[in-house]
Amino acid sequence: MSASQTPAVVMDNGTGYSKLGFAGNDAPSWVFPTAIATKAAAGGGSGGGRPAVAQKPSFLTGGAGPSGHLSSKRGTEDLDFFIGDEALNAAKGPGYGIDYPIRHGQIENWDHMERFWQSSIFKYLRVEPEDHYFLLTEPPLNPPESRESTAEIMFESFNCAGLYIAVQAVLALAASWTSSKVQDRSLTGTVIDSGDGVTHVIPVAEGYVIGSSIRSIPIAGRDITYFVQSLLRDRGEPDSSLKTAESIKEEFCYVCPDIVKEFSKYDREPDKFQKYVVDQGAGRKVTVDVGYERFLAPEIFFNPEINSSDFLTPLPEVVDGVIQSSPIDVRKGLYKNIVLSGGSTLYKDFGRRLQRDIRHLVDARIRLSEQRAGTSVRSSGLEVSVITHKRQRYGPWFGGSLLGQTPEFRSYCHTKQEYDEIGPSIVRRFALLGGPGGNA
Amino acid sequence: MLLLEYHNLLIHQILTERFNSPTPASIDQVIPDFDGVIYHISTPDVKTKILVSLSIKCYNDLIRYGAQEVLQREYGSYIVEPESGYDFSLLLDLEALPEDQEQKDDLIRRVSLLKRNAMAAPFERAFDTHYTLSAESSKFTSESAPSSSDTEVMAIQYRDEEAIYIKPSHDRVTVIFSTVFREETDRVFGKVFLQEFVDARRRAIQNAPQVLYRTDPPLEIRGLKGVVDTGAGDVGYVTFVLFPRHLKPDRRDEVISHIQTFRDYFHYHIKAAKAYMHSRMRKRVSDFQKYLNRAKPENADRERKTASGRSFRAQN
Ligand SMILES: Nc1ncnc2c1ncn2[C@@H]1O[C@H](COP(=O)(O)OP(=O)(O)O)[C@@H](O)[C@H]1O
Ligand SMILES: [Mg+2]
Repeated sequence: MSASQTPAVVMDNGTGYSKLGFAGNDAPSWVFPTAIATKAAAGGGSGGGRPAVAQKPSFLTGGAGPSGHLSSKRGTEDLDFFIGDEALNAAKGPGYGIDYPIRHGQIENWDHMERFWQSSIFKYLRVEPEDHYFLLTEPPLNPPESRESTAEIMFESFNCAGLYIAVQAVLALAASWTSSKVQDRSLTGTVIDSGDGVTHVIPVAEGYVIGSSIRSIPIAGRDITYFVQSLLRDRGEPDSSLKTAESIKEEFCYVCPDIVKEFSKYDREPDKFQKYVVDQGAGRKVTVDVGYERFLAPEIFFNPEINSSDFLTPLPEVVDGVIQSSPIDVRKGLYKNIVLSGGSTLYKDFGRRLQRDIRHLVDARIRLSEQRAGTSVRSSGLEVSVITHKRQRYGPWFGGSLLGQTPEFRSYCHTKQEYDEIGPSIVRRFALLGGPGGNA
Repeated sequence: MLLLEYHNLLIHQILTERFNSPTPASIDQVIPDFDGVIYHISTPDVKTKILVSLSIKCYNDLIRYGAQEVLQREYGSYIVEPESGYDFSLLLDLEALPEDQEQKDDLIRRVSLLKRNAMAAPFERAFDTHYTLSAESSKFTSESAPSSSDTEVMAIQYRDEEAIYIKPSHDRVTVIFSTVFREETDRVFGKVFLQEFVDARRRAIQNAPQVLYRTDPPLEIRGLKGVVDTGAGDVGYVTFVLFPRHLKPDRRDEVISHIQTFRDYFHYHIKAAKAYMHSRMRKRVSDFQKYLNRAKPENADRERKTASGRSFRAQN
């Protein structure tokens, strides 16, 4: 049972959803909201308030089983919590407050995150962390302090055998290797990672993130859900809960080539309008009409002014800008391998539209420079390719699963022993997994 | 979550989904569980036939103590030749499931308890031996009762360095866990934790089994193969003494499930306690930071420099 034989644990904790599982599998074992419900008010959040701390650790309560009278006397608050979908349920009733410990991709509430992991590992994954290596993911530009805090928890609380922390975007590139469109297993490309809370556009050259060129966009899954919800409300649909809006979004929304034409299509083809049946429980079912939001909601990526007046740059322009601001010698590779990742890139034809729009921008620029240079010089054009693939939904997790099962993975990890010798600063650096030299 | 579940949540979830969905789907997942157990759940031939395989380190030990019969009793006709690389396999045919929802749910539950049931064998045997011995001994007066030391100690090497020892006798069943602490901190937490077990019994729950903790091998298992006293104290021995009131046939299944998870439960709680300590420490640090901030001089906004010329700012 030495940790060198057991499958590595792969955990991709996103702002909205956590993807948990084991290296070698082609899908995560668990996907649930990165949410925790604790007794007392929800911690974190406002004004840097500290989370409530339980009065006594549970082991001092004897905790031995269903004989509840002891625990009630001495408090087991530190074990009285739920995570994931169970947390959402618990928070519906009285007594529990809900908290999302990750904001904008970064861990903000370490107390809650530590307990979230504790439950993830022992209750859901059911492993003794001492017996496994762990691969965790982080957002681009994660501060080193945050890495260190993660390592502290993984090694000191859980004694995990070894740890690798990978950048989500790099894993997303590795995940695209499964696409038939990708011939060379390169770690150069532009990753568009759009999850629940934020969309990142991240240029990666040979496995290293070009930090100065990253852009993030305040439009992601949650905003699109809210947009759908607002349309349902405006029409006075019988159910316009967030959950219904989210389901409608995931099931019916798609990206169209041209909204004006799409509107008139709906006038001509009434079957474009759909119906969604909501089971409200207790045998009550209502039917919600689904209309223009099918294509209007994801259109926010391409025409942000539909939804807000703060952020106005369309996604294709952002991508083009990111590549243009990257070093000139990698630009070609960045245009050629634009990889989609995350739940909010799943809309039908999202990749196709993105590719078309980026290509228009690139072609226009080339034409302009040709005109300036005179007609004699003709550029051969520039290949723009957006990669849509089967593992996109859980891209970073799947990339982690792929790399975590390679024979060399463990040698790239820092081990518990190394951590004990050197301390948390050891995790500031990891050798590049699957990069040049590696043969993943 | 004070206690760990006895069954594998994921297997339970996958089977529930598959058993109740009209559209078959292919599955291929490797699912580890505590103590190096590995399940493989897959649909190797057709989507309607689900193969569930179990690999468990101590399988040979378990077979020696009667796992075959227990597994036969629990899974009967679902048992097939073990998949290569695994110890035991079940084949569930979605087209030949029990009609009745309750029976379906029961099958799901039983399959997700595969590890538990395999591990239950030596415990069941010990309980049975105890029943026999106590029936025999009731024929004797207390003085002439047969000594219990001649019953076999069953050793289950369920982890690389850790084992469970079970010894039945006419008036008790003794269960001993050897457990290794990699860390000094864990050892300390472990001791406090176990002391609580001991105290709890003294204080309130007199019917709880007797618990003893020591760092050298207890008498019952001294001299057994694989039991060495290193003298270093990194191996702990936790002894549970189950008395006839714990061994009543109607409580037997629950007691067996419960005691099996002891090691994982124990280590889980040590880790939870450390997580708790961490959160206390974070709270302390943030309190200290507040004091420091309050003590800031008036013109604290001005950038300050360290001796080496780097600037720093207090964190809020
Ligand atoms: N089929 C789908 N179509 C559109 N959006 C989807 C689909 N499936 C999931 N999503 C959305 O993706 C988001 C979650 O994506 P994910 O990459 O897991 O986020 P994060 O990593 O930020 O937590 C949610 O907003 C969810 O509604
Ligand atoms: Mg993500």
